[in-house]
Amino acid sequence: MTSIGLPHFLIVGAALFSLGMVTVVTRRNAVGILMGVELILNAANVNFIAFNHYVEGPGKVTGQVFSIFVIVLAAAEAAIGLAIVLAIYQTFKTIDVQETDLLSH
Amino acid sequence: MAESSNLRAWLVRLAVLAAGLLVLAGAGLMHALGQLSTGMTVFAQYAGVVGIVWGLNGFFFRRLPLRIWPPTLPIFSAAIFGVLFLLGFFVKEVVGPFAIDSAGRFIGLVHLVDLIFYAFAVMTIAGAAGCAFSQNIIYSAWSLLFAFLGVAGLYIFLGADFPAVAQVLIYVGGILVLILFAIMLTKQIGEDPKLTNAHLALPVGGALAAATVGTLSYMAVMAPWRIVSAPSYQPVTAALGIAFLTEYLLPFEVASVVLLAALVGAVVIARKEIKETSDQPI
Repeated sequence: MTSIGLPHFLIVGAALFSLGMVTVVTRRNAVGILMGVELILNAANVNFIAFNHYVEGPGKVTGQVFSIFVIVLAAAEAAIGLAIVLAIYQTFKTIDVQETDLLSH
Repeated sequence: MAESSNLRAWLVRLAVLAAGLLVLAGAGLMHALGQLSTGMTVFAQYAGVVGIVWGLNGFFFRRLPLRIWPPTLPIFSAAIFGVLFLLGFFVKEVVGPFAIDSAGRFIGLVHLVDLIFYAFAVMTIAGAAGCAFSQNIIYSAWSLLFAFLGVAGLYIFLGADFPAVAQVLIYVGGILVLILFAIMLTKQIGEDPKLTNAHLALPVGGALAAATVGTLSYMAVMAPWRIVSAPSYQPVTAALGIAFLTEYLLPFEVASVVLLAALVGAVVIARKEIKETSDQPI
């Protein structure tokens, strides 16, 4: 019998979430911010599937269905986000988010 | 002319190297089986080491003046033989029993399944930390690869086979490649790789990560979860498909429309604008 339980997976998810949040907060590169968002979505997915496995019980797949939806939305978000990054780069010739301040003047 | 003689010398060196390796291993094997006396074994293995050193000298350290006379080759081979013998003795008599003993104790304490889980967890968190704290955006993207693969391993641990495969296919095969393309399209590599708040990233980011992970972990451990008695490890793909086409049919269709709209929108946003004000007809 293994000693791995639900809290282990929740702690891994918490670490993923906090590291993703740090990435979003500290990066100035727009692509880096998108990578942090991907980490946060992965953390949510780990929690969804862990709860599906340990709390919802055998034969039910609600958590996994939600994780698939999250993956779909992450793919859409990555496509749109990177397209916006490319458009910003064509306009400003940089993707430093501290210099793309056209609306704050 | 020089090419062919070079090739021939190279082949001879390779043959002598292989023969030395064969003699070395064969003598050791025969000694272990009791077919060869100790003195003969030592002699044969010394001869094998001489062959190996002479063969290797043609490839790697060909500057060394190893000759039969003055006897640099035998002396050098004897030195290597002694070092190899000491190393083998050390591994066999000291490290081997110690390693086996400690491994036995360790396995008695920790289950193999737990070890695999911790390997995946460490891979995930190390990848995420590399993504968060690396200065170079390319290194960040490559660390993200390890984070995604570790998360896929955790999914398998949780009995979710279809999400694990989808994770590898979509995140690693799609999103990560997209991110790498965006990095390569948006900056000249080597120009300014340090687009991060250098003076802010480590202390503030570390404090933020520690505070968040501490709070969330405290809640995860202390909350009274309703754990089921026997989690199952059955394949879930069929159940997922049935759920998508019965209970979650409307969200499924909405998600496909969202994907279509997102991809069309991405094409529209990312393409170059066509100037309509150009006054020169082409």
